[in-house]
Formats: sequence, C-alpha cells, structure tokens
Amino acid sequence: MIIGNYRIELEPRLSTPKWLYAAVPALSLLFAFVVGGVFIGLTGHSPIGTLSLLIERGYASTKGITNTLGSATPLICTGLAAAFAFRMNLFNIGEEGQMYLGMIGSAWAGIVLAGHLPGFVAVPMVLLFGALCGALWVLLPAVLRAKLGTSEIVSSLLLNYVALNLVNYFIFGSRGIFRDPTTSFPQGRLIEESARLGSFGTTRTYPTVLIAVALAIGLYWFMKRSNYGYETSVFADSPNTARYAGMSSTKLTLSVLLFSGALAGLAGSMYVVGPAGKVDPGLLQIGLGYAGIVVAALARYNFVAVILTAILFAGLREGGASLQISSNPVPISIAVVLQGSVLLFALGGEVFRRNRLRIRRVQQVSVAS
Amino acid sequence: MGSHRSGGATLFALSARQVTKRFPGVLANDRVDFDLLPGEVHTLLGENGAGKSTLASVLCGLYKPDEGAVLRNGTQVRLTSPRHGLQNGIAMVHQHFRLVDRFTVAENVVLGHRKLPFRLRANDLEDQVGQVAERFGLPLDPRAVVGELSAGQRQRVEIVKALYHGAEILLLDEPTALLAPPEVEKLFETVRAMTQAGKSVVFVSHKLGEVVDISDRVTVMRDGRVTGSVARGEADTRKLAELMVGRDIDLSPRRSRGEAKGTLLSLSNVGLTKDGVDHIAQVSFDVRAGEIVGVAGVSGNGQRELAEIVAGLIAPTSGEVSINGERVNGVGTRNVRKAGLAYVPEDRLGTGLAPSLSIVDNLVLTRDRGFLVDRKSAHAEAEAFIAQLEIKTPNALTATRKLSGGNSQKVLLAREIFAAGNNSRVLVVCSPTRGLDVGAVEAVHKLLDEARSAGKAILLISEDLDEVLTLADKILVLYRGSVVHEAMGDQVDVEAVGLAMAGLS
Repeated sequence: MIIGNYRIELEPRLSTPKWLYAAVPALSLLFAFVVGGVFIGLTGHSPIGTLSLLIERGYASTKGITNTLGSATPLICTGLAAAFAFRMNLFNIGEEGQMYLGMIGSAWAGIVLAGHLPGFVAVPMVLLFGALCGALWVLLPAVLRAKLGTSEIVSSLLLNYVALNLVNYFIFGSRGIFRDPTTSFPQGRLIEESARLGSFGTTRTYPTVLIAVALAIGLYWFMKRSNYGYETSVFADSPNTARYAGMSSTKLTLSVLLFSGALAGLAGSMYVVGPAGKVDPGLLQIGLGYAGIVVAALARYNFVAVILTAILFAGLREGGASLQISSNPVPISIAVVLQGSVLLFALGGEVFRRNRLRIRRVQQVSVAS
Repeated sequence: MGSHRSGGATLFALSARQVTKRFPGVLANDRVDFDLLPGEVHTLLGENGAGKSTLASVLCGLYKPDEGAVLRNGTQVRLTSPRHGLQNGIAMVHQHFRLVDRFTVAENVVLGHRKLPFRLRANDLEDQVGQVAERFGLPLDPRAVVGELSAGQRQRVEIVKALYHGAEILLLDEPTALLAPPEVEKLFETVRAMTQAGKSVVFVSHKLGEVVDISDRVTVMRDGRVTGSVARGEADTRKLAELMVGRDIDLSPRRSRGEAKGTLLSLSNVGLTKDGVDHIAQVSFDVRAGEIVGVAGVSGNGQRELAEIVAGLIAPTSGEVSINGERVNGVGTRNVRKAGLAYVPEDRLGTGLAPSLSIVDNLVLTRDRGFLVDRKSAHAEAEAFIAQLEIKTPNALTATRKLSGGNSQKVLLAREIFAAGNNSRVLVVCSPTRGLDVGAVEAVHKLLDEARSAGKAILLISEDLDEVLTLADKILVLYRGSVVHEAMGDQVDVEAVGLAMAGLS
C-alpha cells in the first residue's frame, strides 16, 4: 500500500520474539476495548466508567468472578471440544447440538438410573452418559467423513438444528420422561438429588469447574506426550505422511470427532448436574457451543489457554448482563459488541505476530515505456 | 570476465550492472554483473538459493532491482512487469509452466497479445502459430489441447509463445528438469535455430549437465554473487562445481566394492492394473544384499506405482513381492517395515517427513512408540545425526520444513538407514536428490554408498539418469510400466538407455 511518499508493507518475520506472544494479545484486548468504548460512547454512557464497571462485575468482585467461573465451566468443555477437533483439521461445528444431547443423556441417566445410587457413583455416571450421547450425536458426521470424505462442517452443523428441535419436542411438544409431570407449565423434570452437585457456598460456581480445568490440563499433557497425540499431530500436518507411516486415517478421524463430541456433551452434563438439574430449554438461548468455537480460536487451539479465554468470554457476558442492573442501564448488545471486537482484534493481531509492519519512503520512479 | 565492459566495442543484448536485490533476511543478489551477447547461449549456474533465479526474474521484469541497472542493447531500461520485459524482447519460461490447460496450443500462444482482432479466427491464429513453431523446428499441433500434452511439449508451447510475442532473449528456468534425453536433444536443436536467427538464450540451471555443454559461456553464482564467468572450453565440470560450491566436489561413479550376497528383495511378474490400464506390467527383478539396483525412466512411467507396491502402500494385482523370502503383497506399510523394508519416498516433505513437526518428532515416525512417546532418546539421536551428517539447523526441535532440501533429505535418510530400532535390510529410495544442490547430492550419494557397503539391498528409482548411472550396479529402464532395458552399471551403453527411456528400443 502506498500513502503519499510512504510505502507500507507487511513483511514476514523470520523469527517471533518471545515478548510478542504476550504483547499482541494484550494490545488486541486494549484495541477491542477502545472500539467497544466508542460504541458505549454512542449510547450516551461514559466509556471508561462503563468498562470499569463491566470489569468489576465480570472479574474483579467476588460475586462477579464466581458467576463468571460458573458460566465458564461448560464453555471450557465446548472450547476443548472445538480445539480438539480443529487441531486435527477436523471442523466439528456441531458442539451446540452435541451439548444439547449431553444434556438430554445426562437428564435421562439422572432420572432413570440414579435412583438408589450414592452420589459418588451417580454423578460420574450422569456425566458419562452425557459425554456418550454427545459422542453419539457426532457419530454420523464422523463416519461420513472417515468413509466417504463428506464435509463434517456441514453435517455436524445441520445436526445442531435437529438437536435443538429434539429438546423443544421433549419439553414443549410431548409429555415424555423429560417433562415435569407435576405442573401443567412445560418444564424439565428434575433429576435425582443424589446425582446433583451443590455449588460452592452461596456462589454460582460448581465443583464441575475443577473437572473442566483438570480435563484441559490432562488433555494438554496427553496430546503432547502420548502416541495418540503424536499420531494426530502427524495426521493433521500431512495425511500422506501418516499414510506412509501406516497410521489409519479412519481410526484417527473417527476417534478425534467422537471424543470432541463427548467433550461437548460433557458441557451439557455439567449444566445438568450443576445449575439446571433438568433438561432446560434455557440452554438453547446462550449458544455455548458456538461460543466454544470462538473460545478455541482465541486460544489458538491450546487446551490450557482455552481455560483463560473461556473465563475472559464468560466474564464479558456476565459483566455485560449485569450492566443492565443499574440506574442507567447499558444495553446488553454492548457486551456482544465487545465480544465481537475481542475476537476480531485477537485474530487480526495474529497478522502482526507473524509479520512486521515496515514503512519506507519511496521515490517516485518514472516509468520508461 | 573483465574483457567486455559496457562502453566498449561490443554491444550486449542484455546486461545487469551491479544489481542488488534483498528479501527479508536474505541478500539474494549482491552487486551482480551479467552480460549476454546477441546470438549467444549462456548458462547461469548456481545452487539453490545462489540467486540465479532472482537475477533472471530481475532481467525479465518480474522483480525490480533494489540497486543497479538492467541494460538492453546498451541503454538502461526500467522494467516494471514481465509484459514490459516482453515489449523489450525479453521472455522467461518458468520451470512451472504458466499455461491454461483447457485451451488449445494456439489459444495459449496468442493469450495476452495486445493486437488481437476483436473476432478471433481460429484458423488464422493456428496458421500463424504453426508457422512460428515450424521456423524454429518445434513440432507442435496448434489445435492440440494443452492439458493433454507432455511436459516437453508444454515447454515447446511456452517457447513458441515467447517467440510469437517477439522475444529476442529467452530465459529458460531449469529447462531439462522434466525432459527425457531425446526431448533434451530436440530442445537443443531449437536453441541452435534460435541463435542462428540472432536470438540469445539463457539457461538457468543448478545442474552441471548437458546445458553447460552447449553453452557458449557459463556464469556461476554463489551466495548472491558471481563467482566466475567462463567461456566454453575454459573449465571442466569439476572446476565449475568448485565455483558453485566453493570446495572440491567428487561426483565420480560409486560402485559396489564387495561381492553382492543373497537376494533380499524379489519381484516376480508384478503387475498393477487399474481401470483396465496396466500401470505396471510383468516386472521381475532381484536386489541382493550389498548392491544398488537403479530404475531409470522418464517421470510417469510407473515409478511411483512400483515404489508404492514395494513399500506396501498399494497391493499389486498380479505377481509377488517378497522381502527376505517373505511374501509381502499388500500387507500394509507397518508389516512391510517389520519384514525389513525402509522407504525414502520421492516427496520427502509431505510424505517422508511431516513438514511442521520437528526433526526429533520426525525421527519418531517409524519407531515402535508404545503409549507414551519417548522423545528423550529421539532427541539424543537427532543431535547425533545433526553432528555426524552435518545437518544445518538451529537445533533438533526445528520444523523440517525450515530446513533446506538437502538437510531435510539427510534427516529422512538418517531415519531410514541408521535410526535406532531400524533393522531394515532393504531400502527403497525414490529420486533422492531431486532439486538438491551439488554439495547435497554428493552427501546423499555418499550416504547411499555407505548403506550399500553396510550390506543393505537398495532399490534406487530415479528420473535423474546421471544419478542412476553414478550409483547403480545394475540398471533397469522402466517405460510404460515395463522393464524394457537392462544393463550392468559398469558396462552401460548410455545411448541405448536414453533410447529405451523414450520407448524407442
């Protein structure tokens, strides 16, 4: 690009200095807040006041951070699900639907199976069922992809709508096992008390957050050190090399997609054993599955970083929602604008990590004809 | 070198004066001088990354030099694009052809011509193109669709295109890389016809092969600088290699020194038929311990299929492959490896190696790994290889795609020949030096020679005839999937091999 007498170019970096790995995300966040601030200003609120209130209510107060951790818990799981598949260049977009199925599966196990079991058996079993159902929900796209090469992006995405209507059917459309029989108002039937976990004190953080964090760290270690992690990294980098080394692309594709589905299903389970306790159509409103894809992209598909980006994202949401509770409420859309600009700048910042900006003076060259 | 400077009596068709071109982190051309006489064949010789392609790109208008000047017939020209270069009579034929596959020859040739009539008359264009082709001895059917032509024919289309657009100077980037010997001969006839018409030709090449032989002058580059410019007959290949690499290079033939022992790899009547087409037909040969059997042939005559059959990637539809007496037809790569086979595929980065993974991780690729990957011992092994084989890399954790072709090939060969837990006795190697520098070629040939001395049975499949002639104890020529010629390495009739490669035996 040439502006006046200056030529502005992006040049690939030969090596990336270490400090850039911290500086680029930090600056991206700053720019996102500046852009978000402009929009806050347009609504007639003070940008700095609003942003500091958002930070306080999202992260800096006890209530804020515990709320944030609570809503970050399933988000970590869907983020891990997306990161796990994307790392192998398998684009599972169906976390949303797999999460609903996880919710359904867990609720079923919690209602039907958990009856006389003690909590330390019932809770893991309920979680496991959710994971299983999440995996089953991605089975069809996975088989189609592994055997016929059908795009898993389209098939997994379309199944989201099926799952969505399945939940609506169970609660609003039928009087089945998932529906609370005691009221005429359509809502989910609560699972057995023994299959539920209480939150920490009066907070809205549940012990499942520990499971989610442990999963992230465990996955990080496992994929770095194990033969399975090694084979997936070879396959992701070069399918021909994997074939050369005798790895089975079918096995790898199937297992990665199924495990990704199980992680997304677990997000739904954690919602059931934690705050909801039932099949709750409220989950359909939040879009945790799609947000998981964003969280994973922000974390650059690093499992441990997913924890941080999920908390960042959940905090923006919690803080943004609580801004409505004030004498001069800020519209909730502002939180969405902020989320969008964080994502945009974080991904845009990548360009500057890989390239550097050079501005050079140019002399105008006369063109010989 | 200094005999003809600008301003003297000689008027150069094209010159570069103190041309400097920088890319991020690289000084590609450092004050380069280059002179081309009218009617001259001139080779620009240098290793990969020596800066010869950069210089050619500057000369044809693709790059603008950061400093220095390009002179056409003694006057400075500031070329802004390849089209602008062509307006000055300078054209370049790139190694990767820039043709539209679905167009006919004539359509491709006239493409981009500014003075075409609004309504194209196919017959007129075809006649014009046919005339240009005929004048320079380039047999081409102007009506043929380019997508159906061989590499040699496509190259002719590119040359005719340049001539049609009025090129006086033709820069050819690695022109013989894809050609069979008879096609190379044909190309040289064209070049002679062009020089007789007063046109000049520049070969850009990294190989000390035939192009050097027909050149009137060779300019050698190394690390972005010109290291020498010699007229025909002033220097032999050894001297040129030294100018290229900066040290003495030994490319003399290497043969088995001991007696070959028992048969380790055996193919009998192997065939591969797919969709009614015979890709491999009735191929039989043995490879014994301590010998290299070389398979020569022009690309696309079944080499890939043959290698993949032996490596267990595909199963033959008839016949039998056995390793160490064990039948291994289509048992899968892992089992073929267990039977004692190591395989260096032609596509080293992308098949033999995982490009984004480190040297360490690539050494692990063909090991038995267990549940957890043992990178500690692989790391030690990688460092030993880096030291022993002089692999140039920042460290053992560098991604293999960041290595030069020669260095990544060393990693691959090290893994397939020497790596721990590799008890292979048969080695299949495909085009191991394709695209490599002279120095790296020497190193790879030395490694293969060492593996042979260590008693391995080696099957060398290469499109580079010189390579097969240099290394093989026994030579087979593959043409359309069949072995059409056999010879012993030390008593080979090169002409007969060349004819067999073209299917003329």
